[in-house]
Amino acid sequence: MPENDHYVIIGNGPAGNHAAATLRQKDKDAKITIISDECVPYYYKPRLTDFIAGEIAKEDLMVNFQDVKDIRIRCGQAVKRIDPDSKLLFLQHMEKIEFSKLIIASGSRARVLPTMSGYADHLKFVTSYTDVMEYKEEIRKAENFFIFGGDLVGFKFFKMLNSMDKTVTIMIDPDAFWPYRLTRDMLEQISENLLKFNTEIIVKDEVLSIDRQNGSYRVKTRKGIEKNVDMVLSFNGLNPNIEFAKGSGIDIDYGILVDEYLKTNVDGIYACGSCAQIYNQAIKSYTTSIGWPNAVVQGEVAALNLLGDHKIIESVGQKYFDLEGVKIKTTWWEDINEDNDA
Amino acid sequence: MKDINIVIEICGSAGEGTISAGEITSRFMSSQGFEIMSFDSYPAEIRGFGKCVAHTRISSRQIYSPGKLADVLIALNDKHAISQLSTLKENGILIYDSQPARPHKEDESVAGWAKPGMISYGIPLNMLAHKASGNARGMNMVALGALAALFYVDKSPFTDSIKTRYAKKKQIVIDSNVNSFLEGYNWTKENIKKIDPHSFKDITLPKPKEKLIINGNQLVARAALDADLSFYAGYPITPATKIMEILSRELPKHGGVLLQTEDEISAIGAVIGAGFGGKRAMTATSGPGFALMTEFTGLSVMAEVPAVIINSQRAGPSTGIPTKTEQSDFNSAVLGGTGDCPRIVLAPADTKSCYEATVLALYLAEKYQTLVVVLLDFFLSNSIRNINIPEKPSSEYLDANIAPDKNDFKDYQRYKITKNGISPRAIPGTPGGMFFSTGLEHDAYGRPNYSEAGHTAMTQKRFAKFNTVLTEAPAPEISANDRDEFDIGVISWGSSAGAAHEAVMSAQKEGINASSFSSMMLSPFPEKALIDFSDKCKKILIPELNFSGQFAGFATRILKRSVERLNFITGRPMASEDILQKMREM
Ligand SMILES: Cc1cc2nc3c(=O)[nH]c(=O)nc-3n(C[C@H](O)[C@H](O)[C@H](O)COP(=O)(O)OP(=O)(O)OC[C@H]3O[C@@H](n4cnc5c(N)ncnc54)[C@H](O)[C@@H]3O)c2cc1C
Repeated sequence: MPENDHYVIIGNGPAGNHAAATLRQKDKDAKITIISDECVPYYYKPRLTDFIAGEIAKEDLMVNFQDVKDIRIRCGQAVKRIDPDSKLLFLQHMEKIEFSKLIIASGSRARVLPTMSGYADHLKFVTSYTDVMEYKEEIRKAENFFIFGGDLVGFKFFKMLNSMDKTVTIMIDPDAFWPYRLTRDMLEQISENLLKFNTEIIVKDEVLSIDRQNGSYRVKTRKGIEKNVDMVLSFNGLNPNIEFAKGSGIDIDYGILVDEYLKTNVDGIYACGSCAQIYNQAIKSYTTSIGWPNAVVQGEVAALNLLGDHKIIESVGQKYFDLEGVKIKTTWWEDINEDNDA
Repeated sequence: MKDINIVIEICGSAGEGTISAGEITSRFMSSQGFEIMSFDSYPAEIRGFGKCVAHTRISSRQIYSPGKLADVLIALNDKHAISQLSTLKENGILIYDSQPARPHKEDESVAGWAKPGMISYGIPLNMLAHKASGNARGMNMVALGALAALFYVDKSPFTDSIKTRYAKKKQIVIDSNVNSFLEGYNWTKENIKKIDPHSFKDITLPKPKEKLIINGNQLVARAALDADLSFYAGYPITPATKIMEILSRELPKHGGVLLQTEDEISAIGAVIGAGFGGKRAMTATSGPGFALMTEFTGLSVMAEVPAVIINSQRAGPSTGIPTKTEQSDFNSAVLGGTGDCPRIVLAPADTKSCYEATVLALYLAEKYQTLVVVLLDFFLSNSIRNINIPEKPSSEYLDANIAPDKNDFKDYQRYKITKNGISPRAIPGTPGGMFFSTGLEHDAYGRPNYSEAGHTAMTQKRFAKFNTVLTEAPAPEISANDRDEFDIGVISWGSSAGAAHEAVMSAQKEGINASSFSSMMLSPFPEKALIDFSDKCKKILIPELNFSGQFAGFATRILKRSVERLNFITGRPMASEDILQKMREM
């Protein structure tokens, strides 16, 4: 074992960084490592759309988070497997890392539904900087888009395309808002309000097939609508990144299962942010939390509890998110535009 | 069309194909019309398995320096590449082996040390090499395949360059290398999400003229052969050995003789002997060898015997660091030795001028009957450029001896006092042209003579040669010379001159009114040109690769003004970025 404790955090998002900063604040001597599979410093995911639209530069995407001090940040290194018994992490590039305690803050990525399997190869997902760097130029050059799903990120993306004068067809699926379902009333209200954007809206339909033809895509829906577009993007909610935890003995469902203290079933291993499924005493069930502010608070609480505290996690504020004129009660999403929310 | 300006470093252990991968990259890029400058560093030990780095700068424009930091680091060996990460740009690209033969212990993988902001692409180099050829040898080619795929480089001309590189090998070797390249290319195309901005897509440069891909040492040897060298004596020493290696093969084919002596003292002795006998003769060495030759260099000057010494400088003193570059033999070449000893010293500024300097050295030595030193350095000796094929020297450069005419033989004075200091030289064996020759001070017949007047006259005669030598050398290179005034003038010499020139061009783009001055001729030095240049400059900066500012001290004595110095002894070539930074601070 290392001489000092080695706290390892999987994830370089808000949950991971706030966990790391809290650990450092409370334990000056410990060795702390953040691991991220992305090759980029800590950045604001919520600003990715502005970055694609060219409204902000790369520097403005980066979080200037001074509290992360004397912490080794391993970027571009994916965790492949965890062995809680030997307290080892196995990285994709075949390096082993010993830890004494672990916080999993691996966030989430685009949800691909089983129904999409026939055409998933033709879909683009934008949930990370890496995705953006891969598609940025293509998005800028393309003229016609087909967006389907329509979760919070999807609507943000739609507005961005609109501001870039792109032609967009949007197909709203009430399930896209996963893990919460939009009601029929909400759906209707949203589509009505979206009309002001002068865009084509498709509801109560589903994608049947997507084919590639001469550099563009032909989308066909069950109700017989056919569209020729340059890009098809899917926004059907997010799925926690937990593959590396499978088979490790850490309890998982669709996220990493943790109690109200954000502790997993394994001693010394915690999870927080959008990869975690947190037990809620009130409803006697697990809920996932998405959104920046929750990730921040959860990162801090996970770190404190890892160091011996007993803090119960609570959701951040009660907010109503304005989804195209429809008030949706969330406790997990906030407009992130200013630096003060780091 | 957008510009390409990119530095690629390949880092591995000796024997891992690092240098050949660099060479193939350079050849390929050159064949596509790019300017290339590449530079390898390898272990100091004569035999070793240490770290090798092949550094290549590729540009769609003219380049003058190798570039300090890399845009891409290809890691063929994790241990060595970890230390090389310090020269990768903040947003640089790391290409590493994601499936090594054995798992890494903690902290032993280069991927683990990539800094946030760097882009790492893990490619299963070892696995793909095995797939292509059954062993790990092709890892370097897999990496090149990955690089080509990442940067949208056309694969078929690249594979042609691989075939050319291994053309003399068995077909199986060629196939293994090409297959490894293609494995890397295809795997990367299918599996890597590209997030860096580099791309060679749609970049087509005019079909290049036939180019030589060559380093300074090779050019020195080529120039010597083209300039009718007929005798070479030497003792091997890094970084000059290659010159001797080439000449040992080629000189006999040209009817010449190469002699490997037991040490450098013998080597210069033999060269002076051959020169005395009327042959074009030279030797090549490095600092320690040059130090041994010092006593004999005085003989060449005193007895007025042509001799050429190529001194490729390395880090010193003493045996120092054989495989690191430095410019610290300025003093010993220009000022060293015994007595008032006027010698000609030339310092080429880039690879191309290594040819020019060698031809000129053999010509000047013969014409002025004296010692000519050509100062190269490790970087110039080894860095590779793609250059136009140099024009062969014209006949006047090939037969420069000013021979006595019949009338002279009536009373032949080998050391006759003349206005330009050159006394017609009879080659031993010429009927009527017998003379004395000695390292002692002498009279016009060569007979020892220690008189006050004689020593004064003879010293003046030897120095008088300097007056005309300067008119035969290329004029100093001065940028933006049409302007009347500069805020900063950068004066440099040898291999630092390219970096200085590039820094000045960048500074001008930033609005700094600057100019650069460099002279191939170090001794005699074009003092008037230097003073005229200095008079136009508010501030003077002298960058050089030595600790004590040897040239800056020399220039200060001429200019009688203070200058800013910028000195590095890192063993790496001068970086234009460092000069530019200093200029911004001035
Ligand atoms: C385009 C977009 C816009 C958004 N806009 C808003 C908004 O306006 N307001 C709001 O409140 N929220 C918004 N969100 C959601 C918000 O960004 C997330 O809820 C928040 O980032 C979650 O934080 P986290 O730390 O849990 O996970 P993340 O920020 O997702 O970070 C996860 C980290 O884990 C790393 N990781 C994952 N798997 C591995 C692995 N195997 N090995 C190593 N590292 C791994 C990732 O590289 C990453 O560093 C938006 C999201 C997106 C994609």
